[in-house]
Amino acid sequence: MQIEDDEILQGFIEESLEHLADIENDLLEIEEGGENIDEDLVNKVFRAAHSIKGGAGFMGLTVIQDLAHAMENVLGLIRSCKLVPTPEIINVLLQSSDKLNTMIEDVNNSNDYNIEEHVVPLDAIYKGDAAPPVEATATEDISPPIETSEETTPEVEAPPNLETEAAPEPVAEIEPEPEPEPEVVAATPEPVASPPPKPKPAPKPKPTAQAAEKKPAAKVKLDSSIRVHVSLLDSLMTLAGELVLSRNQLLQTIASDDVRNAESVGQRIDLITSELQEAIMLTRMQPIGNVFGKFPRVVRDLSSKLKKEMDLIIVGKDVELDKTIIESINDPLTHLIRNSVDHGVETPADRIAAGKPAKGTVTLKAYHAAGQVVIEITDDGKGLDGDLLASKAIEKDLLTQEQVQGMSTQDKVNLIFLPGFSMAKEVTDVSGRGVGMDVVKTNLDQLGGQVDIISEIGMGTTISIKLPLTLAIIPCQIIMTGGERYAIPQVNLEELLRIPASQVKDRVERVGNAEVVRLRGNLLPLIRLSDVLGIERTYIDTDSLERQDDRRERISDRRGLDTESSSENVATESGSREPEDRRIAAASALNVVVVTNGSIKYGLIVDKLQDSEEIVIKPLGKHLQTCKGYAGATIMGDGRIALILDVTNISIMADLTSMDGSDRAAEVAHAAEEKIKAKKDKQALLTFRSSEAEQFAVPLNQVERIEKIKRSDIEELGGKRVMQYRGGSISLITVDDVAMVQPLADNDDLLVIVFNIASQIIGLLAIGPIDALQINVTIDDVTLNQTGIMGSTIIEGQTTMLVDIHEIVSTLLPEWFEDQEVFEVAEEGGSVPTILIAEDSNFFRTQVCNYMTESGYEVIAGEDGAIAWDLLQEHGDEITMVVTDIEMPNMNGFQLTETIRKDARFKDIPVIALTTLAGEEDVAKGKAVGVDEYHIKLDKEKLMASVHHYVKQNH
Amino acid sequence: MDNTSTQLNQNLIELSTFLVGDALCGMDILTIQEINKLIDMTSVPQAPSYVLGILNLRGQIITSIDLGKKLGLGETDMSQDPRNIIVNSRGEHIGLMVKQISDVVQADKDKFEPPPSNMGGIQGEFFTGVYKMKNKLIGILDVEKVLKMDEKK
Repeated sequence: MQIEDDEILQGFIEESLEHLADIENDLLEIEEGGENIDEDLVNKVFRAAHSIKGGAGFMGLTVIQDLAHAMENVLGLIRSCKLVPTPEIINVLLQSSDKLNTMIEDVNNSNDYNIEEHVVPLDAIYKGDAAPPVEATATEDISPPIETSEETTPEVEAPPNLETEAAPEPVAEIEPEPEPEPEVVAATPEPVASPPPKPKPAPKPKPTAQAAEKKPAAKVKLDSSIRVHVSLLDSLMTLAGELVLSRNQLLQTIASDDVRNAESVGQRIDLITSELQEAIMLTRMQPIGNVFGKFPRVVRDLSSKLKKEMDLIIVGKDVELDKTIIESINDPLTHLIRNSVDHGVETPADRIAAGKPAKGTVTLKAYHAAGQVVIEITDDGKGLDGDLLASKAIEKDLLTQEQVQGMSTQDKVNLIFLPGFSMAKEVTDVSGRGVGMDVVKTNLDQLGGQVDIISEIGMGTTISIKLPLTLAIIPCQIIMTGGERYAIPQVNLEELLRIPASQVKDRVERVGNAEVVRLRGNLLPLIRLSDVLGIERTYIDTDSLERQDDRRERISDRRGLDTESSSENVATESGSREPEDRRIAAASALNVVVVTNGSIKYGLIVDKLQDSEEIVIKPLGKHLQTCKGYAGATIMGDGRIALILDVTNISIMADLTSMDGSDRAAEVAHAAEEKIKAKKDKQALLTFRSSEAEQFAVPLNQVERIEKIKRSDIEELGGKRVMQYRGGSISLITVDDVAMVQPLADNDDLLVIVFNIASQIIGLLAIGPIDALQINVTIDDVTLNQTGIMGSTIIEGQTTMLVDIHEIVSTLLPEWFEDQEVFEVAEEGGSVPTILIAEDSNFFRTQVCNYMTESGYEVIAGEDGAIAWDLLQEHGDEITMVVTDIEMPNMNGFQLTETIRKDARFKDIPVIALTTLAGEEDVAKGKAVGVDEYHIKLDKEKLMASVHHYVKQNH
Repeated sequence: MDNTSTQLNQNLIELSTFLVGDALCGMDILTIQEINKLIDMTSVPQAPSYVLGILNLRGQIITSIDLGKKLGLGETDMSQDPRNIIVNSRGEHIGLMVKQISDVVQADKDKFEPPPSNMGGIQGEFFTGVYKMKNKLIGILDVEKVLKMDEKK
């Protein structure tokens, strides 16, 4: 077939595919409506079929036209209420629209397709054979008006060949369709990465796992064009105009050698560039609904095939993500949805037996959280049984018995991501081949996403996927090793750790043949970046700031102090510095970047930590594809290149697997755990200073980030101090704004401790030295108590004031809390809710009591679990909820909760547990005895939010 | 008459010649994007030994290959002002580091001779042919072949 005008054809294809995408969901909705026909909806589908028919006729695509025509006939009947859309009829229509889709994608060969299998049943329905309520007369009434609107092409075309085609259209079309044509374009190069005048796409930035390769053809085709709102284009145009103007200005400035002006022009260009970048990113943003849209059909087909009943609830269709991400999450999501339907939700009989409604629910939800997009797939099915998974893994020789023993429940649930793991008892065509979840994980890893599974046996499973908004530009931490810079994506970054020279020996230990560091009671495996990359070990000399070779075998070695053993080596080394000196320096501080890919966490030892920067990812050439340690490269501000590290692959290169890591760590961790248990109520604090003389501390978990700034970065506007921060501005406060302490030191180098309060960020100005430490808090809340200071404690011989950042902010910026105030007042309409608090530490008890009374609750407090229990029995009816500490004398929080839950009078009272260290095991244990929620002490905001939540629920 | 001259022109190509080790090699000048002196590279640990590193060419990241090492002639001396020939291979720009750039030579395709099995220490398979000049021999490099080999590795 010859089609003259390619452009018109392309337009037709795109439009038709869009129509078809809509048709599918609309048909499902029509089916749901049954007899109550939504005329608008049917009209919409009718019009869609009609325009496809019209377009196809114009193009001479007779087969497409015929099929669309047959569909239109049936839809016409539904529209005029002469036909009730039964599932059977909808099924036929759905299959026909699938076929249309296939044909339109393969438009050049579409006239050779056999559509008999669809046209015949459609005609049968139309003529009333399959649909009882249709009268024969109705048929005649309807058909002429439909026809008249269409022109030119003769209606009766030679029907396509009637050979005995054995392969019928797959009934439940769940898998991405086998593509009728070879896939031509595999990856769309990012605009920044595309080579200039070459028709071929750039090589893929990353090696693609097999699953990513079978993108549905439609997706690949649609890649070539994208719809952008005109207003966005206009703003892009405006920005481009501004850029040109600024360039002219810049050229002028350069010509006139005007340095002062150059600065302002530079700023302008900086501004425009970032705006332009933002606007261009926006054009790439697509609603996630594009992907979600196909799932109702998937669930419908699959559940009817598996004879299950199921509802799919979709939330957050409008959440936008970068186009490349949207395209690549299609497969993983499909897989996860199918898993939920197949494995997650039980059969109706099983569900009824388990006391659940026969109809299962799968919820697909997308929302923004902390600069990322979270997609959650929740089912209310049977949940994942960690132990069962573990035994299955042992059975399949993926794990040993010993390995399993050291695993937490969460680890066991995560086993599902192991390659070769399948839970299905037998392989069906739906699932069970064991290539599933690990492929999902690999795909998501490549996108820089993270997968988490939360599952409760009998209650259901939630799989949450965190994705970056875009792939093209990502924030990264820059580090230095061996004289080269490397970038580590911020999504993988947990924290930066500097182990001072004096602590290296104590904190770094050897377990088996791996080195681990003790970090807040946990053991963290360490990897030396230079070893993994096979480059010379170096370190930055703290005195000369030069790079030096590092000869130590082990991190914990401190040969430098052991002069005898080093003397024999001294002779062989020649350097400008005294060898002795160098050895001491060699044992200097370790810079550790703590990274994670979700399932495994480790410390990467690097020479030097630098800034965090937003970088543009560029792919590496094909000669470097064998280097698995890199995810790409980026060009830094000075024009040189930095490689981007692939955190997952580095752990593989270092032979560090999740199982191994936890295995090794488990031995020592156990001992460490005992130690921690012995000490109670440890609190992680960040110490800092505001003036040289006074030391302050804040709970570490409240701190978002710490930034180093210069005094000149601070701008004073409208009587407020602000600073530019990540494209916006951030208010800056100091402790002495509120509390009666010495004013901020007059240093040029300042620190900004960034907090997130009332969902806004605020920076607290401070000076060093800062330190994060864990101490046993014995807090004196009397002596130094004042506004903004909640008490004092002694840290390493120095009296330290604990800063109440909430109080400071609420004093300075009361408007931030207005929303919450309203929330609280609403509670006071009825009787005042009473809350029982069990907490042994005076300080925390007073703190928590204060939070509650401030918010207008009545409080009854007990010093330990036993007293609290007595109080509860005494005041039984008044108490709305219980907030308890875990570690307490006489009766601990777990015991208290257990006792409460056993008593018929109190079993429905919400219980919130407060803890300083929310370990997974603890959380699980708490959940098991009936704790409703966990909160970290002193995290006022979250605690109060959940108190409000439960009070509202129970009041 | 006219006919023959155009015929001739079609077969004439310009060869850019350069020294790899001591062997004079050449390639069609049209396959070369540019030749520069960029040697400020970022090394890539774990990369194949013949990869010198990656460099930034006007915002594009280019893998730079030591052509001498790749062809088994030993490392190119980076202190002797080597040149980077940027070629385009399968949608990717690659830099080939060579010892020295020589003249551009007009050559008649018809006069290309099949390559010997070994030329100046370089495997014959990397050449599409040789071109004999009055006093020298130019080995015509097959860029795709030079760059392709290791994908199989």
